[in-house]
Amino acid sequence: MQISNRDANGVVVVLPVGSIDATTAAEFSSHIDNLVSSGSTRLVADLAGVDYTSSAGLRVLLGAAKATRAQAGDIRLAAVRADVLKVLTLSGFTSILQLFDDVDAAIASFA
Amino acid sequence: MRPAVSTRPRVTLVIGSGGVKCAAAIGLWSVLTEAGIAVDSVVGCSGGSLYGAAVAGGWSAEKMRSLSESLWTDDVMQGYRENLKASRDGSLRFNDRSGLVDDTVLNQNLERIYGDLQFADLDLPLKLVATDLYRGDKVILSQGSVRQAIRASIAIPIIFPPWEIDGRLLTDGGASDPLPVDVAIQDGADIIIAMGFTLSYRTRMRSITAVQEQLTSIYTNNILNATYAFHNLAHHAEIFPVIPELDEQVSMFDVDKIPAVIEKGAAATREQLPHITRLLQSAG
Repeated sequence: MQISNRDANGVVVVLPVGSIDATTAAEFSSHIDNLVSSGSTRLVADLAGVDYTSSAGLRVLLGAAKATRAQAGDIRLAAVRADVLKVLTLSGFTSILQLFDDVDAAIASFA
Repeated sequence: MRPAVSTRPRVTLVIGSGGVKCAAAIGLWSVLTEAGIAVDSVVGCSGGSLYGAAVAGGWSAEKMRSLSESLWTDDVMQGYRENLKASRDGSLRFNDRSGLVDDTVLNQNLERIYGDLQFADLDLPLKLVATDLYRGDKVILSQGSVRQAIRASIAIPIIFPPWEIDGRLLTDGGASDPLPVDVAIQDGADIIIAMGFTLSYRTRMRSITAVQEQLTSIYTNNILNATYAFHNLAHHAEIFPVIPELDEQVSMFDVDKIPAVIEKGAAATREQLPHITRLLQSAG
């Protein structure tokens, strides 16, 4: 899995590419942890490059939501692919996380 | 000398409730078999019990297809209309052992398909889920007669009479745990391949039974979503959901749609296959 960041008006956009499952979740989780511990708590996960997330990926997203919200921030999801959206919907994540069609809308939601 | 400890992940197949849609499990099993993916145990609920038992018994896909045709015969719903009418005019007194369907044909069909097959005879460990009609809790069936356990697990409330096993009156497993991934987790599964189905909603309701069926669908779908969400987050097992996308509404006894349902099950499994394979390879 490849993960990169970019800053956008005080919001950090995280771009994971690949699948988030038991083999990659630890790397993704560590990446988020580092951002939060360095004070970045307003995050947008641009999931356009994520073709799959398993239960391990869901746990990372929930952990990220807890960690950021504990510091008055949030993680918001953008550009979620259909297959990933299906998993998010089935597991109830669409009601506990905010999803946006594109990254710009997700960034703007923090304003 | 100590025996070598296997590091291979334990894989469990879970087939949830969904009536005729559960035939999609035939497509799933065909794809997994072709890909050489072995499972260590099987869990089934309601309609998923029919196919879970077949997988655990080592049945071929062709034999599973004939299972569907042999079970959902034209006369399996015998008595429904008459009993429904009688329940309305008061001539049928409904009680805890009643169903609108006379289950004679269903029981005969199950006997013809599964005979005296015992859990102990199966190639793989199998657990089937039913619901205690009086206590409301999930009941896991894993010993004795497979046919009896299936009969209890598929006892659709109000439609089929409940079934008694060991002094407990049991009804459809979907009433307590429509996609029982928790049973697989309890058994120590590392990887769970979970085929689940949401129940279709009606677009109009013009009778009390239609409203009742709609409410059952709503309850069941919400139980499925809530339990699936919880088990995804509360445990460390890796769960691969396989959710067939059916183009048209498939009601409980749309037997003519089974070939299309099987293909949808295969297609949904093929979508997950690269992810399952990658995880198995990385773990193995």
